[in-house]
Amino acid sequence: MNLTEQTEIALYVEEVRQALADLPATTREELLEDLPEHLAEVLAEGPGTLTERLGTPQAYAAELRASAGVTGSVPRPPGGAARLAELRGRLGEAVRRADVRVGPLLGYAKASEFLALLRPGWWVLRGYLAAMAFAILVDGNAGPLGLLPRLGDNELVGLLLAAAFIVGSIWLGRRGVPAKRLPRLAMRAATVGLALFAVVGFFEADGDTRDFTDSPDTVTYINDYQDVQGVQDVQDVFVYDGQGRLVQGAQLFDQNGNPIRFGEPGCVDEATGNWYPARGLGYPYCPERAPFRAAPSPSEPSSSPSASSQPTPSESPSIGPSAGK
Amino acid sequence: MRRVDATQLLKGVLDLAVLAVLRDEDGYGYDILRRLRAAGLEDVGDASVYGTLRRLFSSGLLNSYVVPSDEGPHRKYYALNEAGRTELQRSGKVWKGFASIMDDLLRERGTA
Repeated sequence: MNLTEQTEIALYVEEVRQALADLPATTREELLEDLPEHLAEVLAEGPGTLTERLGTPQAYAAELRASAGVTGSVPRPPGGAARLAELRGRLGEAVRRADVRVGPLLGYAKASEFLALLRPGWWVLRGYLAAMAFAILVDGNAGPLGLLPRLGDNELVGLLLAAAFIVGSIWLGRRGVPAKRLPRLAMRAATVGLALFAVVGFFEADGDTRDFTDSPDTVTYINDYQDVQGVQDVQDVFVYDGQGRLVQGAQLFDQNGNPIRFGEPGCVDEATGNWYPARGLGYPYCPERAPFRAAPSPSEPSSSPSASSQPTPSESPSIGPSAGK
Repeated sequence: MRRVDATQLLKGVLDLAVLAVLRDEDGYGYDILRRLRAAGLEDVGDASVYGTLRRLFSSGLLNSYVVPSDEGPHRKYYALNEAGRTELQRSGKVWKGFASIMDDLLRERGTA
């Protein structure tokens, strides 16, 4: 074999290798191990360049992939397990590449080196998450998600529980990955479960907190009442006293002293269709649009029952704030 | 219907074909390709044979040895080992059973 042939073979093999770049490195090299010798045999068998005899390196690689991708023996098509293994190989390769590429951005040769340093931090977080999951499982009706793993609404127990789980998690972490298959699988499954729990819990807790703090001193009832029939369109509130008289300038508060707001403080002029801000403070914004008219004379107490027995449009305050949804 | 052509069928039975041509005589890559083509599998490609040999070798059905040569390159010969012979027999039976079913099917329908 002369030098030209060697170069030709090396070039051809290199192009085949590049066409197979997506395969796991070990699989690829195993596949290409004998290719130079084999191509030398091919060249020795007759005239013509490799590309003339075998087609382009890319076509060769595609054929090689098809014939070698099959594992096992003859009549069996590539099974699900083989495909899964191939997928895993590809994923692994992609992760390795990303690992090397991202590493320098963090100041390390590989991103995994940096992540390994974070491991004890993960152990602590894992312990905390496990304690939270445990508290929720054991004490299911504990209401909205807080920050402590509460058992029976006791802060001290919560702190102790968190501490115990964190210490346990660190101990587990220092022991390393279990050697046996079953414990290892159980640990991985538990980790996945905890991660899911963490994501769901995080958004839930965040949502709860936001619902309370959207505006500092007003509870946004409208949002929470969207799905309560008949309340979503509340624009104004009319309060009637025991005598059936319309109360003007009424202020509504919930049990926490937060003002309850419906609609915009203003009216639409029926004649012109223009919106103008309410004249007074409190409800109703537009007294002239009251659905029921009380008897004109306040000196006539017997006129009230008919008016006060009417349902008022605002039944909402009986529904508590749904913070713990 | 997916068209049946020789290349499609070949994919499923190339392992068996390679084992079969190695049954009586060891061979190196290009030699095996030539035997397959001489036997009538003209569409078989070099990469398919090379890939199949690599796979059969790594799954332990073939042994290999290198034969030095003065004028040309060294040649890597492949030989059936015990596992390879067993596999050839097993797969051969599967194929024969399958082929005879297809034969019967085609005969009944009057297409063969």
